Amino acid sequence: MKINTRLVAKVLTNFIREETHKAGFDRAILGLSGGLDSTVCAYLAAQALGSDKVFGLVMPYKDFDAEGVRHAEKVAEILKIRWQKIDISPQIDAYFSVFPTDSSLLKGNKMARERMSILYDFSARDKALILGTNNKTELLIGYGTIHGDMACGINPMGDLYKTQVRELGKYLKIPEEILTKKPTAGLWPGQADEEEIGLSYEELDQILYHLVDLRQPVEEVIKAGFEESKVRRIIEMIKKSEFKRKMPPIAKISNRTVGHDFLYPYDWDK
Amino acid sequence: MKIAIAQISSVLGNLDKNLKRHLEFIQQAIDQKADLIIFPELSLTGYSLKDLVAEVAINPAQSVVFPELLEVSKKIDLVFGFVEERNSNPGLFFNSAAYLSEGKIVHIHRKVFLPTSGMFEEGRFFAAGREFRSFETRLARTGLMICRDFLHYGSSYCLFADGARLLITISAAPGRGVSNLESQGFETSRMWELMGEAMSFFSSAVVIYCNRVGLEDGATFAGGSFIYSPYGKLIVKLPYLEEAFIVQEIDLDEIRRARKSWPFKRDDRPEVIWRSLERIIKKEDED
Repeated sequence: MKINTRLVAKVLTNFIREETHKAGFDRAILGLSGGLDSTVCAYLAAQALGSDKVFGLVMPYKDFDAEGVRHAEKVAEILKIRWQKIDISPQIDAYFSVFPTDSSLLKGNKMARERMSILYDFSARDKALILGTNNKTELLIGYGTIHGDMACGINPMGDLYKTQVRELGKYLKIPEEILTKKPTAGLWPGQADEEEIGLSYEELDQILYHLVDLRQPVEEVIKAGFEESKVRRIIEMIKKSEFKRKMPPIAKISNRTVGHDFLYPYDWDK
Repeated sequence: MKIAIAQISSVLGNLDKNLKRHLEFIQQAIDQKADLIIFPELSLTGYSLKDLVAEVAINPAQSVVFPELLEVSKKIDLVFGFVEERNSNPGLFFNSAAYLSEGKIVHIHRKVFLPTSGMFEEGRFFAAGREFRSFETRLARTGLMICRDFLHYGSSYCLFADGARLLITISAAPGRGVSNLESQGFETSRMWELMGEAMSFFSSAVVIYCNRVGLEDGATFAGGSFIYSPYGKLIVKLPYLEEAFIVQEIDLDEIRRARKSWPFKRDDRPEVIWRSLERIIKKEDED
């Protein structure tokens, strides 16, 4: 699972540069949470496009993740990219005062979609393409909000597992405290991904690697020494989240239908 | 003899822009006194075409693109890639490579092995070619292959048996795999080099591989074009991932010298291969 970080950094900076330009932009925008993924993405974007072409939005809800905000500001300052802090508390609180809930999942999803909505608005205002920061681990187990943090113009890191993003972060020399802190989706104060998922990223990535990259059947993965219940749970997570990785199905009526047999490349005429 | 390799990217589905780029590189090659210039697979159209295949298809007999390229072929031989549709077979689209020289179409090869699995879906959009045939040029008897053709070693064998001294493969091979910590390029580049080395040595022929660069829909084309000598020695390798253009001197007499040292060509027995294949094909049934 080790990656050639120098090569990956080169491929991903090429990807960001080429796809941003092909989409008709020369600037990129991304949400900065102060976590590993958005930090690595910001470093790659600054290398690919130049610091002055990258815009970071820090969008906290109250003080749910004060450390994250500090780290995000630090990243923006190190990279000398433009950044802005937008407190999303007023609109989130306004909504939940009308439709109250105790579910932190509902609240977290709403916040993720609020951030998405602001990113798209600022993307249009600033003429900047939105960079997605979901990694392969999150995409595969569906650990993300559909139309929330999963929404973007292009996604540079969607084929790197979380642990590989960390390796890349080391290579890019991102701040040590961001590299080593516990990953959090910031859904509530003190929330930790690995506790919520119930697996360490190391273990999760290893199992995903065997299942997905090596295409091994469940029995072989279990034989290789992974706990059966964990393997089966991961497969369930993959299955249940397929809808997050696809455009919604379109009911087929005619002989030629968008998504079925009207098939054009993304980079058409670019 | 001087060979130019244009390891370039294409604008997906835009013939005009791509033709213009071709003519620019051709002019560079002419200025540097190259005898032959080689472009990547589907160089006139880009690779990930999907439904665009029908829209960018060219009939060599009618297209306005061919006369321009035929005109410059009076100054330099050309190999390039395009989507082909012919009067005799309307509605069938081939992933083709053309060899133009002295104002004429010398040969067109239609890709035989269309990768259709994993990230590849060529079989969905293209018709498959049915032949490997070497042909005479003003430079040397030559065989053309397109990308996956080269990874099926029977293709090179047919062209070798048919007398080719130059084996040219044009390619749009995306890179995959980054676990080799030392390499400047993707893991998949290795298989092309392995084949290049093996086929050049065992055919005592010059093997030229021209791969494209750039990105389409997230996939990165790996670059790393190369030329191997008839002794299986690497003559030149272009960088991975980056656009590059080179003009390389090739000594065709080396083929003769190599075939004196290693008589693979003299000792080839195509009739034995043929009889063996015939038996295998005839007995082939569903199980």
